[in-house]
Amino acid sequence: MNSASRMPLAWLAQRVLMMLVTLLAVITLTFALMHAVPGGPFVSEKMLAPEIEAALNAKFGLDQPVWRQYLSYLWGVVQFDLGPSFKYPGVSVNSMIAEGLAVTAQTGLLAIICVVALGVPMGIVAALNRGRWPDTLAMFVASLGIAVPSYVIATVSLYVFALRLGWTPAFGLDDWRGYILPVFALSGFWMSFVARLTRSSLLETMGQDYIMTARAKGLPAHTVMLRHGLRNSMIPVVTVLGPVVANLLTGSFVIEQIFALPGIGRHFVLSITNRDYTAIMGITIFYAAFLMLMILIVDLLYLWLDPRISYGDRK
Amino acid sequence: MTAPLLSLRDLRTEYRTDRGTVQAVRGVDLTLYRGEILGLVGESGSGKSVTCMSILKLLKRGGHITSGSADYDGTDLLRLSEGQLSRVRGDKIGVVFQDPMSALNPTMTVGRQVEEVLLQHRKISKKDARARAIELFKLVRIPSAETRIDNYPHEFSGGMRQRVMIAIALACDPDLLIADEPTTALDVTIQRQILALLKELRDRLGMAIILVTHDLGVIAETADRVMVLYGGQIMEEARVADLFEAPQHPYTRGLLAAIPDPRQSGGALTPVPGSPPDMRNPPSGCPFAPRCPKAMAICLTPPDLYGAGDALHLRPAQRTRCWLADPAVPAELMEAT
Ligand SMILES: Nc1ncnc2c1ncn2[C@@H]1O[C@H](COP(=O)(O)OP(=O)(O)O)[C@@H](O)[C@H]1O
Ligand code: SF4
Ligand SMILES: [Mg+2]
Repeated sequence: MNSASRMPLAWLAQRVLMMLVTLLAVITLTFALMHAVPGGPFVSEKMLAPEIEAALNAKFGLDQPVWRQYLSYLWGVVQFDLGPSFKYPGVSVNSMIAEGLAVTAQTGLLAIICVVALGVPMGIVAALNRGRWPDTLAMFVASLGIAVPSYVIATVSLYVFALRLGWTPAFGLDDWRGYILPVFALSGFWMSFVARLTRSSLLETMGQDYIMTARAKGLPAHTVMLRHGLRNSMIPVVTVLGPVVANLLTGSFVIEQIFALPGIGRHFVLSITNRDYTAIMGITIFYAAFLMLMILIVDLLYLWLDPRISYGDRK
Repeated sequence: MTAPLLSLRDLRTEYRTDRGTVQAVRGVDLTLYRGEILGLVGESGSGKSVTCMSILKLLKRGGHITSGSADYDGTDLLRLSEGQLSRVRGDKIGVVFQDPMSALNPTMTVGRQVEEVLLQHRKISKKDARARAIELFKLVRIPSAETRIDNYPHEFSGGMRQRVMIAIALACDPDLLIADEPTTALDVTIQRQILALLKELRDRLGMAIILVTHDLGVIAETADRVMVLYGGQIMEEARVADLFEAPQHPYTRGLLAAIPDPRQSGGALTPVPGSPPDMRNPPSGCPFAPRCPKAMAICLTPPDLYGAGDALHLRPAQRTRCWLADPAVPAELMEAT
């Protein structure tokens, strides 16, 4: 049975529609919140002259009724235009996101690769050697990765490898070695998480009846594990991978701050402290859309992994 | 007299668990001849599955064979390494499991699951393996074999899945098929069809079958010879007709008495009063003693399997593990306790 018949266009259309409705809710909510917070966008430490404030209000349409502001903002989003930054004259929110994303995506992608390419094999090796030293070692390392917060990993590794040993640069991504520590700090937790999940899921799968069938067929132990165990045990791993990808690609403010990387996470927090209203809204909407897209991709991956899943009929 | 295909001697298998060691099989002897269907019958937990899975060392985690030998065609299977055993599994001996719903890999087409065993043991191309898989599907009477082969297990009914399992087990023309409660999970009509199919395949292909069941009706319909298991030991062993005509062991008698018509399927073994022993701490004497209406003082000492060889049939005759069957027991020991 092919995948297409298990994913009718009607289902996909409905899914996309639901995403758009959710996105509309997110836009409306962030818009409402931005207008509900006390103090206008231009109220900062230094008082502005009333006439300047009025001119700025006019420029950003703040003198218009709220519903008109809302509609024109919405119209902008529909055209993939998140408007101008409140804080930086002449800078668009789109360009802020693009610029931040360019940095974040590099470290994020590398971190995702580490999570998958190291976390999954680590879990497999542990499961294959259940109860023996490679298992104990892998699970000890994974426990550390889960227990120790990423900023601690970042700070300690920065101190040891950049400041003490001088093996890596302390900040920036100009040198390839500059990627090592941020990627390590970013992926540490999820890599450990995925390693543990892979191990427990694989061990659970290996207790299933069809594994005994595979053994009874005379398949060698590694074939049993890789061909029959692994694919079935990847289903829960794929489930967490969607949000993990979204999380890593949208950046971590703390890590970006420690390594002085101008990523999107840093932009987001800066826009909050700056009260850069349009930037906050824009980045939030971008985050939401991105997360929903990842979840959709996970659902499509399920379809490929598990032939029992069919999205057509709801029974 | 032809040599047996399989002879299991003094098999002992235990499961080491967190809550103690389960003595699942306690000294089972089993002799199987070519082309014969041997039924293994007993209540749940009596050691049927562990006995027949021990033959191929297909034990779950914690399972250990502590003694015994399994002479198959001149080799002791219990002494083989995992690598050597994997050349026997699926090739010379096929296995059909109880629950066809969970015994097939849900993420692989049934065709691949059949082809896989062929590709493992035979030097054939993928194309030929596929052709042979279709042939096997026809052999076990799966309709529209050519198209069904590309389906996944969840697209089949329970009975059809069990046919797929049988096709997998028969793929390499084994001399022995181990079928562990192959029809227990199926409804009565389908159960009949599968049993008839197994019998027919035995007649056509000539392999021997060890048929595990807790249903005496299945034994009556299908098996040639039967072994009654209780507490990890054989209580009685006989040709099927003899067992139903003249059961010797009090346990067998109890089972038969409680079933209105044992020759009908559905005669599940539950009606003997009392419950099976805890195999972490089995009784030291006859395991059936706590439930036996005939129990005597001597029953606290373990009885042997008694019964003379059957010179006429050249086959193991009826044997019974009960003091009552021992001609040498003095009358004064036969007092009820
Ligand atoms: N995986 C296992 N772990 C622990 N004990 C087991 C396991 N499998 C079977 N046993 C025990 O071994 C004994 C025999 O079980 P089994 O052969 O499965 O019985 P049957 O097939 O006759 O119902 C039972 O007491 C059962 O509890
Ligand atoms: S040995 Fe004794 S307890 Fe066991 S079945 Fe025979 S009579 Fe009953
Ligand atoms: Mg069983």
